[in-house]
Amino acid sequence: MLKISHLSKSFGKVQAVDDVSLEVKEGEIFGFLGPNGAGKTTTISMIAGLLTPDSGTIQIDSMDIRNSPQEIRGIMGVVPQDMAFYEELTAKENLRFWGQLQGMSGKELDQKIHYYLDKIGLKGRENEPLKKYSGGMKRRINLIIGLIHSPRLLLLDEPTIGIDVQTKINILDLIREASTGGTTAVYTTHNLVEAEELCDRIAIMDKGKILALGTLNELIQIVGEKDIALIQGEFSADQAQQIVTKEKGIDVITMKDGYLAISLDASKKVPGLMESFFNSGISINDISLKQPNLESVFLKLTGKELRE
Amino acid sequence: MKRVFLLIGKDFKRKWKNPVVIIGFLLIPILFTFIFGFIFGSSQENVLPTIKVLSVDLDKSLVSRLYLSSLTQGELKDMIHLQAVPSEDEARSLLDKGKASALIIIPSKFGEKVWSGDPAEITLIKNPSEQFLPQIAEEITETTSLVFSALLQIFSEEISQIKALSEQIDASDQIISDLSIMIKDRIEGIEKYVFPPVVSIKQVTREKEVEIEDAGYSIHSYILPAISIMFILFICNIVFEDLLREKEKGTLLRMTISPLRISEFIWSKILTSALIGIFCTLFLIGLGSILFSIDWGRPGILLIIILSLNILIAGFIAFLYTFIRTERQAGALMSSVIVVMALLGGSMTPISNFPPFVQKISRFTVNYWGLEAFKKNIIGDSVPQIWVIVFGMLIMGLLLSIASSFLLKNKLKKGLYG
Repeated sequence: MLKISHLSKSFGKVQAVDDVSLEVKEGEIFGFLGPNGAGKTTTISMIAGLLTPDSGTIQIDSMDIRNSPQEIRGIMGVVPQDMAFYEELTAKENLRFWGQLQGMSGKELDQKIHYYLDKIGLKGRENEPLKKYSGGMKRRINLIIGLIHSPRLLLLDEPTIGIDVQTKINILDLIREASTGGTTAVYTTHNLVEAEELCDRIAIMDKGKILALGTLNELIQIVGEKDIALIQGEFSADQAQQIVTKEKGIDVITMKDGYLAISLDASKKVPGLMESFFNSGISINDISLKQPNLESVFLKLTGKELRE
Repeated sequence: MKRVFLLIGKDFKRKWKNPVVIIGFLLIPILFTFIFGFIFGSSQENVLPTIKVLSVDLDKSLVSRLYLSSLTQGELKDMIHLQAVPSEDEARSLLDKGKASALIIIPSKFGEKVWSGDPAEITLIKNPSEQFLPQIAEEITETTSLVFSALLQIFSEEISQIKALSEQIDASDQIISDLSIMIKDRIEGIEKYVFPPVVSIKQVTREKEVEIEDAGYSIHSYILPAISIMFILFICNIVFEDLLREKEKGTLLRMTISPLRISEFIWSKILTSALIGIFCTLFLIGLGSILFSIDWGRPGILLIIILSLNILIAGFIAFLYTFIRTERQAGALMSSVIVVMALLGGSMTPISNFPPFVQKISRFTVNYWGLEAFKKNIIGDSVPQIWVIVFGMLIMGLLLSIASSFLLKNKLKKGLYG
C-alpha cells in the first residue's frame, strides 16, 4: 500500500529525515514512534504530499505521489493533532461537509454519519454545535472526520493527546475497526503503551533515521528476553561501568551519571550487583525491574527515555 | 467548481450561525447616517439644510448682479441663503467666525471682462470648519457659472441689448431678478428646439438640474455609501481572517489532504467575501432607501456598481493578505489600512477638503471609486461615465484576485504541517 524509498528531507542544516525506507502493507496499522523532533511529522507530511522530499520516492497504491497527487489525496484521510473542524457547526454539519468534500453524497453519506455518531456515542447530540462538546467528544469527531469516507490510507498524527482513558479506548477501537475493513493506518505517537497496543509494526525514529523496524516481538528481541533493571543512585558513569564489567551476564542498555539501565537475569544477578555497589560506597536511591518492552528497546536504541 | 460552492456554502453557514460581528458592522453605517443626518439636516425631510453663502460684489455691474441673482432662483432659493456683505474683509471675518459655509467674491471689472468675452474669475472661499455644506455650495456655484457662461454665449445678442438698456437706466434688483427669471423661462421654453446642436451645454445643465430638483445627493446619500464601503471592507476582512484561522486550526491542512486544491480554497474565500459584501451592500442600500428615502439612481446600474465594487473589495483584501502571516498581524495591519484608506478615499470626509496631492492619492483607494460610482448614479451621470468606473473596478478586482490566488497558494502551503 505504501512504499517509501530512501526518503530524505532537510531544513537548512537540520536533517529532518535521513534516508528512510519502509513498506506498509494493506490493512496494516503502522506506527512511527519517536520523541519530538525525531522526524515523524516530516515523514508523514511528505506522505501526505504537503512537503516535497529532497530525495527518495513515495508510492501509494503503486502511484508516485509526485505524479498523481490528486488521485492519491482521493484515497487518503487525515487525523491531525489539532481539532481540525468548525466549532460553530454541528457534528452532523461537520461530518456532512467533510464527507462531501471527499466526494460523498446522498444516502451513503447519511448512513455513514449515523453509523459513526452511534459508534462514538454522540447520537442525540448531533445537532449541537461542536463548541458545546467536551474535549474527548471533540477528539472523537476529529477522528470520524478522517474516517467518514473510508480512506484506503489513514494518516493519524498523535490523535489521542490529552484525552481520558474512555475516549482513548474508543478511538483505538475505531482505528482497529477501520484497519479490519481494509484501511491502512500510519500512526505517529510518542506514547509507548499505545504503540504496543495498537500497531502491527512499529518504526522507532530518532534524529531523522529509522533505528529499528518490526513487530513488537521483533523489536523486543533487540534487548533480549532478560529482565530490565533501571538503577538510580549517586554514581558516575565510570564507576557504574567498572562495577558492571566485573559481573558476567549483564548487558548495558544505557549508562550515564546517576542512571543505569541494564539487561540481566534479575533473580540471580541483582543481589550480587547491589552488593558490589554498596561495597564501593555508592548509595542507590531507586531500582526498578521490568519485563522487556518497547520502552527498553527505545532506551537501548536511543540511549534515552522517550519522555526526555 | 462544485467543491468551491461547497466551501462557500460552509462559510455562509458559519457566518449565519455567528452573525454578531457582521450585524455590528452593518449597523454602524446606519447609525452614522442617522447621526450625520440629524446634525446636518432635517431627518424627516431628508433634504439639505439651507446653505448660508456670503457675497461680496466688488463689480456691482449688471452682470455681477445677474450672476448673484441666478444663485437664488428657482429651487436654489430653498437651498442657498445669499447674504451680501459690503467689503471683503468683513466677509472674511464673518466666515472665520463660522457665520457662513462659503464666500463668493466677484472682482471688479468682472462685468467688463464678461462683455468683452475675456475669461473672468469668481473667487469662492469655503469654510474649512465645515465638511459638507461648503462642498455643496462649491458645486452649485460651479454649475451656476457653467450655465451662466453658456447663456452669455448663446444669448449674446439679446444680452447686448440688455447691456445697452442698462447703460441707459439704473436697473433695480427687481428688474435684474425679473430678467434672470425671464431668461430662465425662455431657455426652458425653447430648450428642445435650440439646444440639441449644443450638446455639451445642454448636458451640463440637465444633469445638474436633476441633482437639484431631486435633492438626490443629500447628506444621507453621501454618508451612507461612504461609511458603508468602509464597513464592507471590515466585513470582507473577517472572511479573509478565516484564511489564516483555517491554516492555524488545521482545517486547511485537512482540506489539502483531500481532492480539494489550495487554489479552490482561496477562490472560495474571495467569492465568499464578494458575495457577503454584495448582500451586505444590498441590505444597506435597501435600508438607506427605507429609512432615509435615498434615491440610489438607476437600479440596473446600481446592481452592477455593487457587484463590481465588491469584486474590487474582495480582490483588494485578498491581495493585502498576501503580505500577512498571522491572525495577529492581520488584526493590527488590516484595521489600520482600512481606516487610512477610508480617510483618504472620502469615507470620512469629502476628498475636496484635501490638498490636491492628497486628492491624487485618493484615486488609489477602493473607497474613492466606489463613492464616485454611487454618486454618479445618484446624480444621474451619463452611463458611459459610470461604465468606465465599473469596468475599472471589475478589472482591477479580478486582476488582484488572480494575483492573490497565486501568491497566497505558496504562502499557505508553507508551514502547513509541522
